[in-house]
Amino acid sequence: MKKVKIIAGISWAFLCLILIIILFPGLNSFSVSVSKLPFMKLNPRYTGGEIANQVISKSCTLDIRRPVFNGFLKERNSGFVQLDWHGTIPDMIKDSIDFDHDGNKDFCISINRKDSKTVLNPFNKKVKEVLISTPTSYGWAARVKLVN
Amino acid sequence: MDKVLESAGMKKSFGRSLLYTLPMFLITFMFMTGGKPNFSDPASALAMMTAFLLVNVLYFFMHYTGKTDRYRAVLFIIFALSLSYTLIHNMLEVRKSMSFSQADILECKIPFCHLVIPMMILPAAFTKSIIFPGSIIGGFANISSMVLLWLVATVVLGRGFCSWGCFYGGWDDGFSRIRKKPVIKKISELWRWMPFAVLIMVALTSALALMPTYCSWICPFKAVTEFEQVTSVESATKAGIFLSLFGGLVIALPVMTRKRTQCSFLCPMGAVNTLSNKITPFTLKIDKQACTECLKCVEVCPLYALTPEDVKAGKVSLFCSRCGKCVDACSKRAIHYGIRGIPAGTMKNFSRNLFLFVSFLFMAIFSAGSIISTFQGLFKFIF
Ligand code: SF4
Ligand code: SF4
Ligand code: SF4
Repeated sequence: MKKVKIIAGISWAFLCLILIIILFPGLNSFSVSVSKLPFMKLNPRYTGGEIANQVISKSCTLDIRRPVFNGFLKERNSGFVQLDWHGTIPDMIKDSIDFDHDGNKDFCISINRKDSKTVLNPFNKKVKEVLISTPTSYGWAARVKLVN
Repeated sequence: MDKVLESAGMKKSFGRSLLYTLPMFLITFMFMTGGKPNFSDPASALAMMTAFLLVNVLYFFMHYTGKTDRYRAVLFIIFALSLSYTLIHNMLEVRKSMSFSQADILECKIPFCHLVIPMMILPAAFTKSIIFPGSIIGGFANISSMVLLWLVATVVLGRGFCSWGCFYGGWDDGFSRIRKKPVIKKISELWRWMPFAVLIMVALTSALALMPTYCSWICPFKAVTEFEQVTSVESATKAGIFLSLFGGLVIALPVMTRKRTQCSFLCPMGAVNTLSNKITPFTLKIDKQACTECLKCVEVCPLYALTPEDVKAGKVSLFCSRCGKCVDACSKRAIHYGIRGIPAGTMKNFSRNLFLFVSFLFMAIFSAGSIISTFQGLFKFIF
């Protein structure tokens, strides 16, 4: 029994040695496999949710994302909708948004890109306030707080 | 007499030490140069050669002198400093600031570190998603490769990760060595359970908030990496907490106690790594027949991993990070590196050689990138 334990211990130690030796040369390909695991995707609270609608104008595109209400075990009462403007964006942004696709505008958002001043005009009582309004590498992004 | 006995059995002749260093020399050479050293940029070539020599000289001396912790700590501390330098340097170059902006969060550009992992587990299981604004694959410090590196290191080294792999541990390890004698001598070892309480708290709050609460509110290492821009009372409070915890647990208390207090009393990842000591094949063993119960090992252990009761029972607790400080301090060679299944007091040299190779190789390769880029910055600054 003692001998078996010794052999098992030493074998495990040598296996670990091999693991460390192959870890670094294989890091890139092993990481790609890890990235394919089912839970290896960013939570919508970070990505902003999937793009639900795109408004394309002459020089700029507005992505309206699906509202994010997700919580740990169930949906939350409060969430947000993220808006992303790409392309050549005018100094003054003014857009009316129908985030729930019911045919009615839910709010109007105006952004002065020079001083980042953002004004929200809600037409729906579910729309509360501007959480984030910021320049990004692709243009501009805003998150508007919603309640269920 | 003690001095003579001290680590005598672990010492090797010059030639033998060179022979033991040869595999490390070849493997680190391959990793650092890709097999083809590039001398077109003198600063980069010099930085690479310096890092390569540093690593191999330290490893050589571990064999030649029989001492472990003394040389391990040098690389471990340099790793911590250079990682912070590299990160801050990148942040300043790319963002002109040490803090990240809301846009960086929205675009999921925050570098990932292993301390997030304990907070990711519950949300990953229940929401099938990762609660961190980083990159899943590709780019600097992406989530997939950091998770993989930590996972393998933890299986192989157990809590040894906390003395041979973590790029934060070197900070409190370094500060714990500043004074020769501690000012505060006794802190109840009950505090070593504190990281488990922090772990439970941050795992639950992170799951409920779908946000890594330790990173957002507690992590002392934000002070030497990157943190949120101070734009509100909330972000100012966070910055205050980061700086106070860094000042208190990473600088002041380690200096006064000669212990790694942040790692011992706060870090939730330390708690997870403690549990992983059950898996690793590499252990610390006490040869009861050789031990005189002088308790020198208890005195020097920086992680409160040894108590007088542990020594009497001939067992090293799960809190051990395999740093080797107690091994270096034991004049009877009673406490030594071991391998699971091999009885205490036997195959000491074999176990130490194998452990040193595995753990040092991990640290050398993992730290190489940031150490080389730090030397590069240093040489560009000097010349
Ligand atoms: S306890 Fe935490 S900070 Fe300290 S070395 Fe371990 S993982 Fe790193
Ligand atoms: S293991 Fe060594 S240092 Fe520790 S009590 Fe025994 S003899 Fe003393
Ligand atoms: S028991 Fe020894 S090897 Fe383990 S942490 Fe303490 S000093 Fe380091």
